[in-house]
Amino acid sequence: MINIEYWLIFSSLLFAIGAYGVLTRKNAIVVLMCIEIMLNAANVNLVAFSSYYTTLHPGLGADASGQVFALFSIAIAAAEVAVGLAILLEVYRRYQTIDVDKINILRW
Amino acid sequence: MLEYAWLIPVFPFIAFILIALLPKRTLGWEDGCGYGIAGAAGAFALSALVVWEVINGRTLLPEDAPRFTWLIIGDISVTFGIWIDELTALMLVVVSVVGTLVVIYSAGYMHQEGVTRRRYYAEIMLFISVMYGLVLADNYIEMFIFWELVGLCSYLLIGFWYERPSAASAAKRAFIVTRVGDIMFMAGIIILLKYVGTLDFVTLFDEGGTQAVPADMMTLATALIFGGAIGKSAQFPLHEWLPDAMEGPTTVSALIHAATMVKAGVYLTARSYPLLVQSPESLMLVAVIGGVTALLAATCALAANDIKRVLAYSTISQLGYMILGLGAGGYLVIEASNPNGYTAATFHLINHAIFKALLFLCAGSVIHSIGTNDMRLMGGLHKKMRITSITMLIGALAIAGLPPLSGFWSKDEVLAAVWHAGEFDWTFTLLWVMGIVTAFMTAFYMFRMWFMTFAGEQRSDFHAHESPKTMTVPLMILAALAMGSGFALFIGDGFKTFMEGSIHGLLQGVHHESPMDVAVEIFTDPLTYVSLVLAIAGILVAYRLYCMPGFDRSVFAKGFPGKVQRALENRWYISQFYDDFAYKIWYGFSLVADAFDRYVIDGVVNGFAYLGANTGGKMRKAQTGNVQRYASLIVVGIIALLVFMLYVLPWGGW
Repeated sequence: MINIEYWLIFSSLLFAIGAYGVLTRKNAIVVLMCIEIMLNAANVNLVAFSSYYTTLHPGLGADASGQVFALFSIAIAAAEVAVGLAILLEVYRRYQTIDVDKINILRW
Repeated sequence: MLEYAWLIPVFPFIAFILIALLPKRTLGWEDGCGYGIAGAAGAFALSALVVWEVINGRTLLPEDAPRFTWLIIGDISVTFGIWIDELTALMLVVVSVVGTLVVIYSAGYMHQEGVTRRRYYAEIMLFISVMYGLVLADNYIEMFIFWELVGLCSYLLIGFWYERPSAASAAKRAFIVTRVGDIMFMAGIIILLKYVGTLDFVTLFDEGGTQAVPADMMTLATALIFGGAIGKSAQFPLHEWLPDAMEGPTTVSALIHAATMVKAGVYLTARSYPLLVQSPESLMLVAVIGGVTALLAATCALAANDIKRVLAYSTISQLGYMILGLGAGGYLVIEASNPNGYTAATFHLINHAIFKALLFLCAGSVIHSIGTNDMRLMGGLHKKMRITSITMLIGALAIAGLPPLSGFWSKDEVLAAVWHAGEFDWTFTLLWVMGIVTAFMTAFYMFRMWFMTFAGEQRSDFHAHESPKTMTVPLMILAALAMGSGFALFIGDGFKTFMEGSIHGLLQGVHHESPMDVAVEIFTDPLTYVSLVLAIAGILVAYRLYCMPGFDRSVFAKGFPGKVQRALENRWYISQFYDDFAYKIWYGFSLVADAFDRYVIDGVVNGFAYLGANTGGKMRKAQTGNVQRYASLIVVGIIALLVFMLYVLPWGGW
């Protein structure tokens, strides 16, 4: 049994890596991937807290609701990636680039 | 009978409504003149009945008077009622006689005006109606309402030919200048309301009413009420509107600016006598304003070349006489319980109304005939317009003060009253000198006008003709009245005894003079002969300068030498002073106000707008369109929020 602190440290590292990638990478695909990493960090948290909850209250039996939410989240992430990639395709078709610094028409 | 006197203004008012609202083809003769004459005649008949009752010694007691409550504000109730005494009767005579005759005369004078006559008759009837209302009012509020309505009608009628810019501006001027007086009047009655709590004459003129006001406040209130009279009766320094008001039709000048409306100021002063005699200072103001106006206006009339302006200045001058007589009469009442000044001034009021209406209507007849106002272009009309010429001569003799015409009796009485008031204050002696000089000038300028108009040779190309019957008949009636009205002094108990009735509360142990005493007094007083000699001298000087065969014709162009002539023609520069005052000082002040509005008020508003726009302009630069920058700001924001909630808030004790 791994202590919850390790899971939390791991997931926050994962989240920080993802956030760093979202903020710094120029390639929109990479940014999308980094968003996936951040989502997965959240999923790790969900699963970890679900397991922790069961160990805190042994009398209640196994509770899978945290893991169910993680599954939901994964499903939504898949949908999100599909939409995101579709948008990127359209962007590329129009601007011949997916460099996020170049796609800045939403401005003053 | 007297309690039905409130019907008097109703007749002309119904005529006004009918003329204003009836379909055009039912207006009948002269576009509504028939209705006008009917309304005026109805009011005339009823007025005559009322006057007859009053002459027979029956006045309306306040408790019998019909009245209704119009407004109740807290403890103050504003009522409408009627007040009939000798002074009211006098004004009823003036308004009804002159009003009716002017409406009849208008049928001829306004004949060429076409459809606009409807407006004319409607306005004239409204004017006559509200003038009756003013005369019959039994409290200051009611009087003030009608006072303002009279001013409104005056504005409408002066501006009757509003297409002419001069008429439009004269109307505005008359309205605005009299408004200065009206504001003073209103301030005066507000002071009275504050101390007495009611504006009904019956309470105000009572011992209790006059004692309720502190002496200095009484002086202020009476002086302010007299300020209203200054505006309406065109007294110095608010007299400049009246000569300009000659832009209206001559009938309007005769009705409003000679016989009725300008008399409202004198009427107000006479009506307020019980208050005025409480304050010798106000009486002195009244007398001085009257004397100065009489002299100043007479000098202006010397150089005027417009026939109507001569009459306008003479009106102002004669109104000055009445005001002077009332001021001096107040001193006589206080010091000697002598009503002579009051009776003389009111006597002059009615006589002047008649002969000045006559003179104006004669001038209207001349203007109607030859189509110009300028006396330099007239001359020789006596042969062509005999009736007008003779009736106007009667009017001129009456105003010049030759016996036995009406002006002689009343002017002489006024001057005698002023002379007697000189026993109590030397200022009145000075005012008497001004009055006697005015009498000389009056005779001079009236005959200058008559000679320039009717005597000598025709000086320009015109075809004069006598006016129609509707115009000459009123002239003849008025001429007969101007000859006869002076004898009212001697009919029955005499005019003096009659007029004393309206102020008998102020007099103690008055000694009634019989008409015989009055006559003896007039003809044994050397002052009578002084004014008579001066009047004849004035006529002779006018004859020498303007009529004697072989006289120097350039006198029309030259007149008085140099500076004096220019000053007279420019009416002592008073009008110009007002213009300069308005243009330079007031305009300058307006510029400052405008600058304040433009730069300070608008500046603040625009400043805020600019601040918003400018800040927005700067702030929108933050919208770079770079999604990653937004994201990093969100992250920084969340971190800052977390730090704040986790560390700062617990540290602060929450």
